[in-house]
Amino acid sequence: MNALPAPTKRHWVRHETLLLLMLFAETTYFFYFARNFGTADNISNIVRHSAEMGLLALAMMPVILTGGIDLSVGSLMGLCAVIFGVLTHDWHWTTLQAVAATLLAGLFAGGFNAALIAFLRLPPLIVTLGTFSLYRGLAEATTQGTKIYRSFDPDFLNLGDQHFFALPIQAWIFALGALFFWVLVHRTTLGRSFRAIGFSPEGTLYAGIPVERRTAMPYVLAGLTAAIAALLFTARLHQARADAGTGYELAAITAVVLGGTSIFGGIGSVHGTLFGIAAIAVLNNGIARVPGVLKAGVGGELASMLTGALLLIALAAPILTRFITRGRATQT
Amino acid sequence: MISAPLLRLTKITKSFGAVRALKGVSFELNSGEVHALLGENGAGKSTLIKVITGAHKPDGGTLEIAGSQVSDLTPTRARELGIACIYQQPALFAELSVAENIGLRLECGATFGCVNWKKLHANALRLLKQIGAEIDPEALVRSLSMPQQQLVEIACALGSGAKTVIMDEPTASLTRTEQELLFGVVHTLKASGAGIVYISHRLEEIFALADRVTVLRDGESISTQAVRDPEGVVLISETELISLMVGRPVSALYPPKAKVTGEPVLELCAVGCKESGVEEVSLTVHAGEVLGLAGLVGAGRTELARIIFGITPADSGTMALNGAQVRVLSPRHAVELGIGYVPEDRRRHGLIMQMPIDQNMTMAVHPKIFPNSLLNFRAETAIGVHFIEKLGIKASGPAALGGSLSGGNQQKVSLARWLATQPSLLILDEPTQGVDVGAKSEIHRLIRELANEGMGVLLISSDLPEVLGLSDRIAVMRGGRLVDTLDSTQATATSVMAAALRSA
Repeated sequence: MNALPAPTKRHWVRHETLLLLMLFAETTYFFYFARNFGTADNISNIVRHSAEMGLLALAMMPVILTGGIDLSVGSLMGLCAVIFGVLTHDWHWTTLQAVAATLLAGLFAGGFNAALIAFLRLPPLIVTLGTFSLYRGLAEATTQGTKIYRSFDPDFLNLGDQHFFALPIQAWIFALGALFFWVLVHRTTLGRSFRAIGFSPEGTLYAGIPVERRTAMPYVLAGLTAAIAALLFTARLHQARADAGTGYELAAITAVVLGGTSIFGGIGSVHGTLFGIAAIAVLNNGIARVPGVLKAGVGGELASMLTGALLLIALAAPILTRFITRGRATQT
Repeated sequence: MISAPLLRLTKITKSFGAVRALKGVSFELNSGEVHALLGENGAGKSTLIKVITGAHKPDGGTLEIAGSQVSDLTPTRARELGIACIYQQPALFAELSVAENIGLRLECGATFGCVNWKKLHANALRLLKQIGAEIDPEALVRSLSMPQQQLVEIACALGSGAKTVIMDEPTASLTRTEQELLFGVVHTLKASGAGIVYISHRLEEIFALADRVTVLRDGESISTQAVRDPEGVVLISETELISLMVGRPVSALYPPKAKVTGEPVLELCAVGCKESGVEEVSLTVHAGEVLGLAGLVGAGRTELARIIFGITPADSGTMALNGAQVRVLSPRHAVELGIGYVPEDRRRHGLIMQMPIDQNMTMAVHPKIFPNSLLNFRAETAIGVHFIEKLGIKASGPAALGGSLSGGNQQKVSLARWLATQPSLLILDEPTQGVDVGAKSEIHRLIRELANEGMGVLLISSDLPEVLGLSDRIAVMRGGRLVDTLDSTQATATSVMAAALRSA
């Protein structure tokens, strides 16, 4: 009885291996069949286009690890982009001041989610569903839904266009984010608490861990990350607009769950999330470059379908394998 | 009895992978008999029950129900054949009424998918009356106490016409009076010709109830014997049963008491908390002392522990720790002040089942052993290994998940978490509940060792012999108040129970 393997642990290790194989197969396929997929230009393109969603996914991971969810990050991107636009254009703040204020706004909005969820103990799904509408609504009201801020400081725009040591600047920011969240989740007592809370908030409280503060933290970080993503988005498109990041929250959640994090909390890894982000980013880019798809012009639709299929396969696979192996065990 | 036994199992075997849970168990249950099943945790009792209820298919051996051999038993088939099981944790729907729960279980009161409420209620009322339970069929299960919920379970079993009723530690969370009620129900069932398989860790219950007892050890049935002869003379002693269970003689049941006690560790003065219904509790725990806290379930003992530990902070009175006035506002705060609390509900509060045991053990000492908040896996594993050895925890290693351990070993892990904090006050809430005899005496010895090292121990237990055997002084609570403090040299089971029961 004591020799039983650690089932949850084995489970997610296997999941990540599986995901890595899927990612490898996907990349190989596109490498041979998609037009111009393997070029240096395209690879940097993939990174530039997925860095914002990727950052949101990284920040989403600890939220889901605690057993919560944050639906508001995409909307918050829109709100932060608009705040940045208003500050630079209408209030004539310097870029640096506006960047700082935008990051603060992100922190504050994340803190608002956190306060409602961790201290008032409202369900995360409902709270962030509310702020999902609230933040987007604020952004759209400010711009009357039409106004788009253009023309920014060229130094700021470099953030979206330039390379640094052969890689797009977004790649470096994303790598920093990945490192930060990996260390946070896997190497600090904070990450340990997130996991414990995901398994059992009450049990964690009884161990003398300040559950409220620990639950709050991932939401605050998600707010800050959404602000960073909004700035990257603005720099990449040269536009600050209210619809920035629409639907990104769902892409981020998909990447996290695809990466093996349990939607019920407790189980998951940041490297898994990275694989999940890569799988979605590669799929989105590659599928549109397959000649047949290119001709039909259905890249976006197919990408969305295949992402869904990938998610379902990745979730069902471990359960199916367990089912099959158990069947074999009872036969012998 | 001439008629075929209700249940006859012959040389049942069952393996899970490489683990042989049952290595040949034979067991027989007659009509009108209470047959006790004894064994340490992990001896195979749960597996055996699952074989009888059809949840597990045995690998070998034969299973006869009412004289006819059954080879393909499923839970549904078992129920049809009149086998019912009452588990420790009643599996009822909390948000539905008692009658609805009974109706759901018996699948009665409904015609073509429509509920006949009148019939449903009448039926529930009849069944509850039959077992002498005064429970309103319209009450929500959520509002019932644990023992009341168990009675509802029994009513379900009765209503389904069960001939074989399995009771798995039914008294684990019951108070003395509630036990009496349950015993009465067992006698009623017995008189009606049903057979009862009775599982309990409390030996005195076996003597009070059982006609025969079968001892399981390491997946084998070691012996089956009658508890009494026809004249009512007891044929077997408690020590005999214990040594049969553990396979070796158990020496002194309780370690010797403290010779000297030191300075006060905890002083409560008129402490109360409106939210949890505790009023004006004053008590003192000294260094080196085990203070037993006795009382019925619901007397406010766990509530008091939760106040001291800061889960529901006190709103009146004063509290001093090692001579200094403190106000404990959160468990985190309590840990910093040197208070440890091993909670009653191991599975929900004591341990995180899905996490490795070393991680469970370090949870309360994060700031101490991981300065700068950075994890140090080597230090963590070392702590795990240290306590596995020190407390004799049976696990594959520090990385074993909490949930993979047996109850007694889980309890030791929960204890280790608090020993790691080196507390000056340790609160133990039902530390041996659901723990087998062997582990129980180890835990008792450990508690006394801790006290001897100078810790103040507050021991909450509903197991009266344990409170009497282990405590230096005994405080008794009733209705949220402290009603009496007895010296253990003078206290007897009767005097403690009298204090716990006496009406104000």
